[in-house]
Formats: sequence, structure tokens, C-alpha cells
Amino acid sequence: MNWAETIVDLLKKWNTSLIAYVPDISIHRVTSLIEADPYFHLVSATREEEAIGIAAGAYAVGRNSAVFMQSSGFGNSVNALASLCIPARVPIPLFINLRGGPGEFNIAQVAMGRTTRPILDLLGLVHFTLEDEYKMDKIVDGALKLCHANRQPVAICLTQLLHGGKLA
Amino acid sequence: MLRFEATQMILRHIGDRPIVSNLGPTTDELWHAGHRDRNFYTYGNMGLCSSIALGMALSTPEKVVSLDGDGSLLMNLGAIASIGREQPKNLVVVVWDNEQWGQTGHQTSHTGLGTDLEKVAQSCSIGHTATVRDLESLESVFCQALEEDGPWFIVAKIDEAEYMPVAPIEPEMTLYRFRNSFLKQ
Repeated sequence: MNWAETIVDLLKKWNTSLIAYVPDISIHRVTSLIEADPYFHLVSATREEEAIGIAAGAYAVGRNSAVFMQSSGFGNSVNALASLCIPARVPIPLFINLRGGPGEFNIAQVAMGRTTRPILDLLGLVHFTLEDEYKMDKIVDGALKLCHANRQPVAICLTQLLHGGKLA
Repeated sequence: MLRFEATQMILRHIGDRPIVSNLGPTTDELWHAGHRDRNFYTYGNMGLCSSIALGMALSTPEKVVSLDGDGSLLMNLGAIASIGREQPKNLVVVVWDNEQWGQTGHQTSHTGLGTDLEKVAQSCSIGHTATVRDLESLESVFCQALEEDGPWFIVAKIDEAEYMPVAPIEPEMTLYRFRNSFLKQ
């Protein structure tokens, strides 16, 4: 099972069937699996904070949800996390393609990519970073369990070292 | 038309259906008009009211009502495009349109200078739309929206009034009791 299949498998294990996202080429491998699987409803948002709102709405009526985005889009979603998910305790797993690490080719992706995890720390949100598939099933499974136990968003950062990234 | 009397009218017809309310006076007046478990009050996240309602509508067969505002929706016009893309039959968006950012000092919003949110909705493939200026017209179209498939997008032009006291709302409790009302079914 590759990294993308592992994520899909664990989303199902945690009954997470509404996925809101903003398209991203590096994590297209996992979101295309989700789109092709009738278990899921994949919702395209126009912007990452909108995806957080859609996912929070699903959770509010009893359906587990998750969000996929890129680290640049994480910057667009900070107030949604800070003023909705944190005070209302909405447990949304955030799968973030973390830019700005080894192999980054785009200068415009570096600053937001490098500040994503410090911002998560300042918000008090737990995050895990995946650089390879070793133990990733245990890490993602544990992250989803923690997310629901703590009723707060948890970020799972997917790096170029894991998924291969976008070629310049 | 005053937002509070319009909110009272909506509660007379809503039954057990869920409502999401925009931050500020919309949430405060919904609480004063009639607190209920199925009111999802928002207190921050400006712009996300109808996005939250979209996520709900895609996840429950019940009809979901969003009470949004012109200033907030202008912050997230993409929400209208996503509703048009998803075409949820069970979503009713009501926009309280006072053509201003009331709480920040009554600055004129874009809807007071030509932006027509009903036309935006129409151009995003939302088939059932209306703009109403009095309570009777709103009641008529809102009752139709509760009974007939949507998505519906209703712009209700309102006059600003004195603000009511801030509602004593705890976001964590709001989500807990709202969600519980769905889990218990």
C-alpha cells in the first residue's frame, strides 16, 4: 500500500466521508483516489477557509470530514481555524502539502511553507510531518484518533520527500 | 423590513430544521427571537456562514437554512460558486442585505453601490433566487423554499435597527447540542 492508499484506507477506518479541498498537483494522487471512490463526497472549495467551513458544517450534523490543501492555502485558512474550529472544538484532520522544504523550486512557496508549522504551534494545534512511508500508517491512524479525542484540528504535513513533489 | 421581525417570521415556519446564523447581530437576534438546539450560532469566521450550511446540506437530508449577511458573503463570494457547483436541493440561503457593514460603523457595502448578489447567485447556476423588500414577500418565498427543492438564494433587503444585547453564546456548547440533535436521531 503506498502513502496515498494508506491515507484513503485510514479515512475510511475513521468514518471520514466528506472531504473538502482545494486542488493541488502533489497530493492529486490521494485526492484522485478519493474522487473515484463512491464512499467519499469530495467537495471542491474555491479557497481553503471555505473548505474548513464546509468540513465544519458536515461535522456539525454528525459526519466526519477532512480537508486537503497546500501550505500556501493554509495561510488562507488561519482565521477559520482560530475563530471557528478552536473555540467550537471542531475535529478536522488537515492534510497539508508542505512546501518550502528540500527540493522546493519556487521562491514564492518558501516563506508560507516554512511558517506553516510555527503558526500551527502558535494556535496550539498538534501536527505531524511525514517524510517517508515508514510507520506512516501508525502516525496517520494515531493522528486521527488524537484529533477526535481532543476535538481540535490536527495537521498532517505531507512533504516532497514523501510524495515526490511537483517538478519544476 | 427589520431583521428581527424577519427572523421571528422564519422561526414561525422553521419547525425542527437547522439554521446557521452569521456572526454579530444576525446571531444575536436569532437567539433573542428563539433559542433552540438546532440554531448553529457563529461568532467569528466571517464569510463562512453559508459554507458551513453547505457542508451541513451535503451531510443531512434535512433542509438547512443559512442566515447570512451582505458584508460577510462579499468576503467569500466563492461560497456561492461552490453552492452552484454542488447544487444541494436542501439548502436555503437568506442574505440579510442592509447594504452596509453595520457593526463597523455603517460603511456602505458593495451591494449599496451596484453589486447584485441575486445576479451573482444566478450566474453561479443557482436556479431559485429572489430579492425581496418587505416581510410579506419574504414570508411567501421563504415558505416556498422550505417546501420546494433548491438550492435557494433569497436576498432580503433590510433596514438597520438598534442592536440587541449580545447573546450569551458559548461556541463549544453550540456545536455540542446542535450536533447531538442529529446524533440522537
